[in-house]
Amino acid sequence: MADFLVEIGTEELPPKALMNLANAFHDHVANGFKNNTFGFSKTKVFATPRRIAILLENLDKQAPSKEITIWGPPTKIAFDAAGEPTAAGIAFAKKNSIPIESLSEMVGNNQGKEKLFSKSKKPGLKVEDLAENLIREAISALPIPKKMRWGSNAFEFIRPLQWVLILFGNKIINSQIMGLKASNITYGHRFHSKNQIIVDEPREYESCLREANVIACFSERRELISSAIKKIAKKVCGIAIVDASLLDEVTALNEWPVALLGSFDREFLEVPTEALISSMAEHQKYFHLTNTDGELLPLFITISNIESKDSSQIIRGNERVIRPRLSDAAFFYNTDKKTTLEKRRESLKSIIFQEQLGTIYEKTDRLSALAEYIAPIVNADISLSVRAAQLCKSDLVTDMVGEFESLQGIMGKYYATNDGEKPEVAEAIQEHYLPKFSKDAIPKTAIGITLAICDRLDTLVGIFGIGQQPSGSKDPFALRRSSLGLLRIIIEHNINLNLYEVLKKAATGHQQLQTDDDQICMQVLTYVKERFRAWYEEEGIPTEVFLSVSARNLNNPLDIHRRVYAVHTFTRFPEAVTLAAANKRVSNILAKNPLKDMSAPINKDLLCEPSELALTKIVENLEKKIQPLLQEQSYTSVLKLLSGLAIPIDNFFDDVMVVTDDDETRINRLVLLHKLRALFLQVADISLLVPER
Amino acid sequence: MSQIKKDCTSFQELILSLQKFWSDHGCVILQPLDMEVGAGTFHPATFLRAIGPEVWNSAYVQPCRRPADGRYGDNPNRLQHYYQFQVILKPSPSNIQQLYLDSLKMLGIDTTIHDIRFVEDNWESPSLGAWGLGWEVWLNGMEITQFTYFQQVGGLECFPVAGEITYGLERIAMHLQGVDNVYDLVWTSGDEGVVTYGDVFHQNEVEMSAYNYEEADIDFMRETFNQLESDCRRLVNKGLPLPGYEMVIKASHAFNLLDARHAISVTERQRYILRIRTLAKSVAEAYFNSRSALGFPLASKEMADRAIRRIGGKSNG
Repeated sequence: MADFLVEIGTEELPPKALMNLANAFHDHVANGFKNNTFGFSKTKVFATPRRIAILLENLDKQAPSKEITIWGPPTKIAFDAAGEPTAAGIAFAKKNSIPIESLSEMVGNNQGKEKLFSKSKKPGLKVEDLAENLIREAISALPIPKKMRWGSNAFEFIRPLQWVLILFGNKIINSQIMGLKASNITYGHRFHSKNQIIVDEPREYESCLREANVIACFSERRELISSAIKKIAKKVCGIAIVDASLLDEVTALNEWPVALLGSFDREFLEVPTEALISSMAEHQKYFHLTNTDGELLPLFITISNIESKDSSQIIRGNERVIRPRLSDAAFFYNTDKKTTLEKRRESLKSIIFQEQLGTIYEKTDRLSALAEYIAPIVNADISLSVRAAQLCKSDLVTDMVGEFESLQGIMGKYYATNDGEKPEVAEAIQEHYLPKFSKDAIPKTAIGITLAICDRLDTLVGIFGIGQQPSGSKDPFALRRSSLGLLRIIIEHNINLNLYEVLKKAATGHQQLQTDDDQICMQVLTYVKERFRAWYEEEGIPTEVFLSVSARNLNNPLDIHRRVYAVHTFTRFPEAVTLAAANKRVSNILAKNPLKDMSAPINKDLLCEPSELALTKIVENLEKKIQPLLQEQSYTSVLKLLSGLAIPIDNFFDDVMVVTDDDETRINRLVLLHKLRALFLQVADISLLVPER
Repeated sequence: MSQIKKDCTSFQELILSLQKFWSDHGCVILQPLDMEVGAGTFHPATFLRAIGPEVWNSAYVQPCRRPADGRYGDNPNRLQHYYQFQVILKPSPSNIQQLYLDSLKMLGIDTTIHDIRFVEDNWESPSLGAWGLGWEVWLNGMEITQFTYFQQVGGLECFPVAGEITYGLERIAMHLQGVDNVYDLVWTSGDEGVVTYGDVFHQNEVEMSAYNYEEADIDFMRETFNQLESDCRRLVNKGLPLPGYEMVIKASHAFNLLDARHAISVTERQRYILRIRTLAKSVAEAYFNSRSALGFPLASKEMADRAIRRIGGKSNG
């Protein structure tokens, strides 16, 4: 055993792709060794702007040997009538070094035929046999967003390759990767470290680089940056706001991070905070600070990639850059305020939402119409909802949003307030984009909720209507995210609505669609309901619980959700297993013995067995009891009541033969079972909880 | 190692130093193109020379015009006319980043003090049918250079790949001189005293902003664009890609002026860009063919043969 190290040295890698690349590289190489039955103990991934590397500790020098059976000619051919080996038999013996006298022992059955065989040991692959190809494959399988060529080379990679280091123990694995010969040489920090660095042992790699001012481990650098930021913030009695994705990006841009504090003119604080933050974060990758009240401080933290001989010069340089950036933001804000959102709405007529779905202006028209329908469902003011719908996209044509796309909605709120719109309208303009990502906040105000629902319905129906729905991993309009957002809003705000009906309403706004409305709405409905699957998976609710509810083909997401939770609770009742099995049994019996008249009453005179009588009584009693509970969607209470059926059902099946020869009795018992099954089906198809055999 | 010059901080010394540096590294030093362009990339020494298999190393300063960036001389950083220093190395050498960093050291930028970074920035020019991957180079958080490996130009795959380095001269000078306002830059200091960037260009910024935003004749620009477009087609058809390319450059500037005058709607804008790209592509192909007819004189025999085989393969397939 020895340690194995491979490092791919490159010119500066795209920061957002870095960790994906490193992890994919690791997985491919580690799995490659594993699949070839090599053992190793621990692995480690390294990633900096100029390298990705992986270390496999205690890798087997050679995979274990494998016993293989080689089948030879059938005995009929290998031996003559006298049992002596023929020429074919002798040839097989020679080829596999079997002594002729023991050839007759080497007979076995292969696919129904008696054949000669030979067993031999195939030695396992050595690391040096496998490594080069594995690394080549791993490189070509990397998830590179955009590949490039350089120089006179024909090969493609994410950025030009500069060096390749491959070490097994203290030996270089002789390899040729994209025109470069592998060595044991690496390079340190661009400016702190001048010379080549020879790595003698894989385990020394990390410390060699540390000496050369490179912290190779991504998470260590991230931690270092994060704590340095907090330390500086503490010094100035501020709170540093550390956005996780910005932290990742900055970590991917540094090999030797040093945090520095800079400041900007207090007068810029008059510009909306979000605009200043975007300006600092998006363009300059600065972290911002607030006071304990959450108000922005005129300070920023930048992470430099050098331990400077004079860091004040770096700070001064950065301050010189941020000033014109913030002046731009202030300039945009002041210019934007001069035109009202209402007036700007006209400019939306020249902005395409989607070629076949018209302009953004037309979208706001559709949203206004839809808002009139949705607002009463959400208990929102209709006329204010319509007003918000008309104005909600106007900020797209402001200079500020042109510069910072992420401020859409946020600037809309500022400008709406400035225009003197009602506060609810302004708030809704900001809120209707929420949630923007999976754990994001959802709209809180009734009008914001209305608008957020309308916007998503309109997009879903429109994009499905032109046949651009997501397929595979392609989801150019982020419909997966909007569907999940839609569900979250509906469920977290307890909104009862028939999704199919509201989709139909949304479809009436899209008159240019070719496909039939019903068909599109059914497609969208199915698609949105399918999002529940991932949702519940994340919450640890078994798929069959969701399936038992979705079998009911319901259109009200909140109702579906409540049923799923009730069934999930039900599965933890002691009676659940029995009842699920009973439901399955009943469902099978009913399928084999179809009833002509489902609604026939039970004929009490025909009930002869006591357990049959008991079950009937309970069923009829429960039928009445659960009705009000169903009305208020208290499905857990319903299922709790129905759990009382476990023993009576068991007794029933123990004592009673359902399928008897007597027609009347049989039909009567089937009717009883049908009613029993119907009780459960009012919540979900519990029979689906029985695990597949 | 190049020695650090005592006074390369004046604007004109900066240009001269870079010219000397890249001349020492074997570049053909050219003069600016005598036409209005939006970037040094438009110079035929970049756009056309990036096409085909020929070796080409060149450097030059290029005044650039971006009509929509004018601020009437009021903004300390934004100009409608400014300078780029352009270096094109084809094929891109494997030490191209180091050469660039050496040039910064030569200018007196101490890499043990300042924070220099290559930050991902992918370049695309829809109107030139060109794209490449690379970085913007940051100096203490300020973008001072664009660094690009050309992948496609005029719709043609680049092989070999040209590496393009575009220095933002004003920004580098502002750093070297420690100045916050571009107009305060020392252009040169002679016996008569200091001449600033403002002395040379402020009036120009004021008047040209007025022209770009208020005075440029819209109808005339539209007609000009149409005329240039048909001229370009005619010239390309006659096997004259170089004059054809001049028409593309002029058409592109006419478009920029129309844009600055807000005379183009969003949909129309797309169409204009497409029209320029169509011209640029036809010029690129015609240029490739004309060089091919000459046997690609600046390429090694192997590369030339390879390129010729490739087109042969294409027309057969």
